[in-house]
Amino acid sequence: MRLILSDRDVRVFEHSPAPVEQILLEEGINPLEVIVSRDGKLLSEDTVILASDEVRIIRIAHGG
Amino acid sequence: MTHFTADVELRVADTIKTRQMIVPQDRVAVALSGGKDSTALLLLLHRLLPEGEDVRLIAITIDEGIAGYREETIQSAEQLTGRLGIEHHCISFTGLFGDSLDAFLTGRETQACSICGIMRKKALAVGARRAGATKLATGHNLDDEAQSVLMNVFRSDLPRLVRNSSVDSSGKFIPRIKPLSRISEKEIATYLMLNDAWSELPECPYTRYAMRREVRSLLSGFEYKHPGTMLHLMESKEKIERYGKGSVISEPLRSCRECGDPCSGDLCQVCLLRQSLDR
Repeated sequence: MRLILSDRDVRVFEHSPAPVEQILLEEGINPLEVIVSRDGKLLSEDTVILASDEVRIIRIAHGG
Repeated sequence: MTHFTADVELRVADTIKTRQMIVPQDRVAVALSGGKDSTALLLLLHRLLPEGEDVRLIAITIDEGIAGYREETIQSAEQLTGRLGIEHHCISFTGLFGDSLDAFLTGRETQACSICGIMRKKALAVGARRAGATKLATGHNLDDEAQSVLMNVFRSDLPRLVRNSSVDSSGKFIPRIKPLSRISEKEIATYLMLNDAWSELPECPYTRYAMRREVRSLLSGFEYKHPGTMLHLMESKEKIERYGKGSVISEPLRSCRECGDPCSGDLCQVCLLRQSLDR
């Protein structure tokens, strides 16, 4: 599956299918600091992502 | 997912009610940067405030003068207030202090968040006063509040830890309220996404210098591993606040000898800053 990050960086995640939470943890991302969407729809952390999917990982923490 | 929206709205309404943040006839100035927290705050207050109690909302946006960052969020704030039909005032650092934040920070970038925080607080107070507000609402969320508790502990700043600016019995300042203080940052982002109000905006270029950034990362790691950490920090603060009431750690409110603004020392933070910046 393809992961599109907030800085437009694109990563390929090899261990699919996998739930959102597992993907984030394996990518070193704290699930509390991002929201994840697929086709514009928000995904819960237990949603299983397939190899053919493309998901966006949006960082939510901004400001100073 | 509509349950989620209803749950967030119920919890915010409960915070407002139990802490008596807003009462009939209030004129509430909402500090609207155009970012996610203040956008959610304005949307929630617009939805939750009871009709017939004559509570009025006004939005105040501060233009600090941060090139390449603030323009987009101001535009977002203007669009939101236009859509909701809410009176909107914009105050710039240049208009109020004579120069932009970028200019003030030349050579002092590592102090960006402290300097900006002091000036923005003053600008918001001026904006709220000009708008005739009786309350000033800010979008501080649970993460922000818990981070502040931890930062004050790290700095051993007990007076700031127990300071409560939500009530002003002396009439010296407009009480500040934080209706989102029990809603996490992730819940706010989720709420906006579910209500088609999420937009990705640029990050403040000065964030990289902030101690808060390190504390945020530390605390969210703890919260993930030990859910409830942030709420426990807030409960600890409230307990210390209760125990410290009337004691030496609660500094009495005084008036700045230069500008007359309320402060805890001889000079307010803005006048101290002006002296150090030689302005």
